[in-house]
Amino acid sequence: MSASRSRFLVPLLLVLAACQPSASASPSDRAASSTAPSSSAAAIVTYPQTLTDDAGREVTLPAEPAKIVSLAPSNTEIVCALDACDRVAGVTDADDYPPEVADVDDVVIGALVDVELIVAADPDLVLAAGNELTSSAVITELTDLGYPVIVLYPASLEAVLDNITLVGQAINATEAAAEVVADMEERIAAVEEAVAGADAPRTFYEVGLFEGAIYTAGGDSFLSGLISTAGGEPITGDPLTTAIALEDLVAADPELILLGDAAYDPSITPESVAARPGWGEMTAVTSGAIEVMEEDPVITRPGPRIVEGLEALARAIHPDRFD
Amino acid sequence: MIGAGIGLVVVAALAAVAAGSVDVGLAETIGIIGQRLGLPVTPTWDSTAPTILFEVRLPRVLAGVLVGAGLGCAGVVFQALLRNPMADPYVIGAAAGASLGAVLAITAPIVLPILAVGAGTAWLGIGLAQVMAFLGALGAVALVLAVARQDGRSSMVTLLLTGYAVSSLIAAGVALLLVSSGRALASVVGWLLGSLGGTGYPELAVAAPLVLGGSALLLMRWRTLNLLLLGDEAAAGRGVDLVSARRGLVLLATVVTSAAVALAGTIGFVGLVVPHLVRLAIGPDHRLLLPMSCLGGAALLVTADLAARLVGGVPVGVVTALIGAPFFLWLLHRSATAVTTP
Repeated sequence: MSASRSRFLVPLLLVLAACQPSASASPSDRAASSTAPSSSAAAIVTYPQTLTDDAGREVTLPAEPAKIVSLAPSNTEIVCALDACDRVAGVTDADDYPPEVADVDDVVIGALVDVELIVAADPDLVLAAGNELTSSAVITELTDLGYPVIVLYPASLEAVLDNITLVGQAINATEAAAEVVADMEERIAAVEEAVAGADAPRTFYEVGLFEGAIYTAGGDSFLSGLISTAGGEPITGDPLTTAIALEDLVAADPELILLGDAAYDPSITPESVAARPGWGEMTAVTSGAIEVMEEDPVITRPGPRIVEGLEALARAIHPDRFD
Repeated sequence: MIGAGIGLVVVAALAAVAAGSVDVGLAETIGIIGQRLGLPVTPTWDSTAPTILFEVRLPRVLAGVLVGAGLGCAGVVFQALLRNPMADPYVIGAAAGASLGAVLAITAPIVLPILAVGAGTAWLGIGLAQVMAFLGALGAVALVLAVARQDGRSSMVTLLLTGYAVSSLIAAGVALLLVSSGRALASVVGWLLGSLGGTGYPELAVAAPLVLGGSALLLMRWRTLNLLLLGDEAAAGRGVDLVSARRGLVLLATVVTSAAVALAGTIGFVGLVVPHLVRLAIGPDHRLLLPMSCLGGAALLVTADLAARLVGGVPVGVVTALIGAPFFLWLLHRSATAVTTP
């Protein structure tokens, strides 16, 4: 029994890593989260204030947070983009950007959130991830211990902007947040303009392969939305598991294959993909439209650098529009 | 002997409170405990240290004591009752039923009856999964007992086999839920692997009377268990009402097991091997075997959980097997008498 359990774990982690928000986070969620003033000029933040997070929880902050623990790399990047990197008191072992977070203590090792280490960091704000990426048991435990926990789980590109605004409001950095958001909006608009009117090629983004299962963008997921915005027509997998059966992929006949997993595994190359049994007849393979996406870390991390991911996707899908 | 056992548990518990991923220091730990007991101690420690000790570590250690004691004690009873050295507290369906209850609570909170239970748990201040696990364990054992009944009484072999069959059936249901659990998968797997983390005082307050009360009532039945070892006829000849004695033992051991599983998930190995370890050490007399298995289970689980925390949060069930199994094999090898079949 234990053997079959542990075999569940690895694909599970893969799925969770690949599983950006499903469609369930509705626009109303986002409307709720943007109780903070939007990109308009910096409002004066007063404490105590109550904010609504992506899980629909009301979180009250008694004073301006001076010590922030981040339980996801994207959350860390948001805080640092708001010039508040010096307030980050705990991160995950997967954090690698910006470089100065290497000096911050890890409070999340692998999938394990070490509550003891969080208590020792003595934070006045914890930024968690949604959809069980931070387990609900841990969120409950931290809340019970008295820490304000804001859950960030953007369902779309626009929701990332809302998250940045929300964090700006929470940590009294509304001005910086407005600047970051305005810059991102500008870059998103530029991409949209560049790909406007172009034919959208059927695009398959490979997140990973595990024991014969192929993981890609889930239906109506963050990643599929990003591909659409970049001017592609995403070939999506199961909304829940983000897996797609090989026969469905063959039937969908991708015109472009983007290899996100090749950014971490040099053995995955356009040649190795073309040689996979059953893949040879796809249009993308016969026409040689297979590309390695070295930018996968920014494509799959819903932080401020997501616009870099969007730009990379748009360049890969419509190289002719970015000469 | 009992005193030594209690001492072992206390030492293990103190060590588990003093050590962890944050280095509080032994002197500081003693100081913090002293201050909490009202002694005039000047704080030399970080302001977060008392929170770590009393709010993060202590509930977890107490959960380890409760769960370990319950499983150790119930394991002895099931081995004696079923006269099978491979029996453990989970053998007649408790673990499978608890898993089903907890997984249902985590994956399908829309079902109306669960909502009703949920309202009750909110009032008690404990998790829905815990209550559903408890009810699931009781329900599965009740089902096994009902199915195994023949002519108003069930033979122990039939009970054992029915337990395996019903457990397999329920496990299939759990697997089905797992596949369709989607975003809750991490929570579900975490529960199934068993963990003492995240236990709060409200859960402990509900589980403690069930585990400790049930175990105490089991301890009082040591004489019956000794007689059952002699065989049905011999036991009946000495005045044991087999049907009612067994019913009482199964009921008590099931309540203890269910509360333990509800608190920590399905932690394996403790309930199977602790009784054997203790039996090898002190013999098969239940007057000592029962309480010492209780204490041994508590000490083993608290120590295993400390090890699990120190090596970076591996599931405690993995650690109980990793340290317990080789030790058990060594003991088996050393002991010329081998395992005394209960």
